[in-house]
Order: sequence, then C-alpha cells, then structure tokens
Amino acid sequence: MHRLFTRRQDTQAAPPDQGPGATIVALPTTAPAPAPGEDPRDALLASWLGLAEVQGRSLSAWDQEVRRVNDMVEGKVVDLAASFRQLSTAARDQSARIEEIVHLAGQVELDGETAQVGDVVAGMSALLVDMVNNIIQLSKQGMSMVYVLDDVVRQVEEVEGAVGEIDEINRQTNFLALNAHIEAARAGVHGATFKVVAEEVRLLSKTTASLAERIRARVGAVASGVRKGHEVLRQIATTDLSPQLLAKERIDKTLAGLMDQNQRFQDVLAETAALSGRTAETISSVVTGMQFQDLSKQRLEAVLDSMAVLRAGLEDLSGRTRQARPALAPALPEGWPDRLFSQVKLTAVRENFARRLLEGSALDEIGALDPTATADDAGGDIELF
Amino acid sequence: MDYRITQGPGLTEAALSGRLTFNDYEKMRLLMRDLGAAPARHVTLRLDGLEFVDSSGIGMLLIVKEEVEQKDKTLDVRGATGQVLRVLTVADLGKVLDLRP
Repeated sequence: MHRLFTRRQDTQAAPPDQGPGATIVALPTTAPAPAPGEDPRDALLASWLGLAEVQGRSLSAWDQEVRRVNDMVEGKVVDLAASFRQLSTAARDQSARIEEIVHLAGQVELDGETAQVGDVVAGMSALLVDMVNNIIQLSKQGMSMVYVLDDVVRQVEEVEGAVGEIDEINRQTNFLALNAHIEAARAGVHGATFKVVAEEVRLLSKTTASLAERIRARVGAVASGVRKGHEVLRQIATTDLSPQLLAKERIDKTLAGLMDQNQRFQDVLAETAALSGRTAETISSVVTGMQFQDLSKQRLEAVLDSMAVLRAGLEDLSGRTRQARPALAPALPEGWPDRLFSQVKLTAVRENFARRLLEGSALDEIGALDPTATADDAGGDIELF
Repeated sequence: MDYRITQGPGLTEAALSGRLTFNDYEKMRLLMRDLGAAPARHVTLRLDGLEFVDSSGIGMLLIVKEEVEQKDKTLDVRGATGQVLRVLTVADLGKVLDLRP
C-alpha cells in the first residue's frame, strides 16, 4: 500500500484558514525541503509522486462518479421516455375522441336515420315557410269565401224578396179571378166564356201560389244553409293567425342561433383536437430528443476510457519512479486536496470523493477520514482531522 | 280601420289607418270598389297609419291586389312599419306585393 502523505519535520506549523466550509485542517502539503545531503531532484520527484497518487485516486473517484451519473441519467431517461410515450398515446386518444365529438356534433338522429344538423335546420325552415304560405293562402281563400257568401246571401235575400212579390201578385191575381167569377155570374149566359177564363185564371193562380210556396221553402232552406256556412266561415276567418306567422320569425332566429352555437362548438373542438395532435407530435419529438442520452453516454464513456488510459499511465510512471527511487515517499503538493474538495458542492459527491481519495492513505491510518462527518447536511463539510 | 283616397295624375293613393282585422271586410270591399272605379292606372296603398294587421287583413290585402289587377291597373304598397312590417316580412309578401319603404 502506498502512503499518500508523509509527515515531515519541516511542514507548515498552522493549518491554513479556509473560512466557511473548510474541509482540511492540517496536511503536510508543502513540498519538503531537501534534507542535508539529499538530492533536490528527489524532493521534486516526491511531489510528483504525491500528485500522481492524487491524480490517480481522483481519476478513479471521477470515473466512479461519471459512471454513477451515466447510470442515473440512463435510468431516468428510460423512465421519462416511457412516461412521455404514455402521454403521447393519451394525447392521440384524446384527439381522436374529440374528432369523434366534432363529427357527432354535426349530426342528429331522426326516426332512426342520421342527418346533418344543417340539413335538419334547412328542412325545418322549409316546413315553416310552407306553414306560413299555407296560412296566407288560407287567409286569402277564407276572405274570398266570405265575400262570395256575402254575395250569395244577398242574392238569396233578393230571391226571397222576389218570391214575396210573386205571392203578392198571385194574391192580386186570385182576387181578380174571384171578381171575374162574380161579374161572369152577373152577366149570366153572356158571361159563360168569361167565367171559364176566370176559373182558369183562378186555377193558375192557385198553381202559382203552390209553386211560389215550394220555391219559398227551397230558397229558405238554401238561405238557412248559406247563412250557417257564412257564420262558420266568419268564425274561421276571424281567427287571427298572425301570432303563428310571427312565431316563424322567432323560430328562425332560434334555429340560426343554434346553428351558430353548434358551429362555434365544432370550431373550438376542432382546434382542441388539433392542439392535442400537436401536443402528441411535440411529445414524440421530446422522446426522440431524449436520445441525446445515448450520445452523451457514448461521449462520457470516451472520456472514461481516456481517464483510464491516463490513470494507467500515471500508475506505470509512478511504479517506475518508485523502482528507481525505492526510498522516496510521495509528498502532496501544497493545497491540492483542499482545492479539489472545495470545488465539489454536493455533499454526497464530496464525501465519496474524499473517501476514494484518502482511503488507504496515511491520513486514513491516523483517522483523518471521519466517517461520522457524512451525517451533517447543513454545510455538507467533511471534517478531516 | 279607416281609409282616405286621394287622386293624382296617373295615381290613386289610398291611405289606411287604424287596425285592419276581419271586421273591416265590408269597408275593404268598398275600398276595392272605389279603387276599381278610379281613373288612374296605378294604385298605391299607404300603410303608414296602419298600426296592426291580422291574418284576415293580409288575406284582404291580397284580394285588393287581385281586384286592382283585374281592372288592368298596377299596385304597390308603401310605408309599412312596426307590427305590420314584421307580419308582411315574415309572410314573405315582398314576392307577391310590390313592397316599398
């Protein structure tokens, strides 16, 4: 086992003041002055050996650290990639479902058949237009019928009047026939012919009266029917359908509003579906980008390989130096350990580095590497004796 | 409903006012007779003063148009406002009557 450090009589008396976070208390770090009669080059070689030892242990420690980082990154990247793939799948599923909603939002089921909402609304609008046209036509025809029946009622009244006149004429005719009978009787034999004529006139008058009565009865029935029809038609025509006409206006506005809202709904959903799609693509790009880990692993392994070569070189040269100078003990250049430790901020890394650097060294033998120092998270200082 | 007829060169103008409902059918008949008898070839119905028209009123306006055209005259309808204009618009009577502002 090589000794990392040696104690020399002429080492610096007091430990350097490191300030907050100091890790090194006292080390024989200065290059020793040559002893009387000693070759000055041996002091330099001793320093070089010390530095080589430190470099070798440092390289070993960093090799371990880099591998640990590599493994950690690789593990986390694999986990992240798996999570991102799940996210991408979920985003694609979401996009597909939203597209389905967009498709469904534009359709409606009527009597077992699927129809586009736009077509249904157009159909309803057409029905409303038909309804309005029918109302208008109904109103016009109704009023036309009222005028026609009004005329018919007037005609019927005239006919009834005419029948009344016939009755009057008939009554006078009958009266004249009776008078003629009386005069014929007075005229005796000379009035026989006149009597016959008078009798015929009387019979004619009777027939006419009977006919006029039948006409009156028929006309009366017709007049009664016409008047009833006229009254029913008045009731129909009086019914105001303008509220139904104006309802079309309201329904048209409502349908237009529903169409607008449906379209806005579909537009927003389509944008959301597109966004989900772009999210899925972005996530896929992230997963692809995370392949950087593979490249960085390869580059770090190249660094590790180089470090291994350096370490081997240092060990080889250290070995040959020791062979050439068996009595030579490595001396650590001044300030190197504290400069190395002070660069490492993470407590766990610093502790591991210190352990790798000092285990098996002379400081370790005298208890300088305090294992209890790892429990302190506040400053993270490794307390070295 | 009431109406007033004015004669101008080549034009007979009938201004309606009040509310036009079924009960005005006899007055409308008189109006049709007067418009038919007027010498001018063109008739204008002014509805500025008409506040309300029901569905039978619409029917009567259409009959006025028919009667006027049967006398080889032309007819336009002007000045409809408020409820009257809404009903005429919803019923799409611009296709049948010559509606003007």
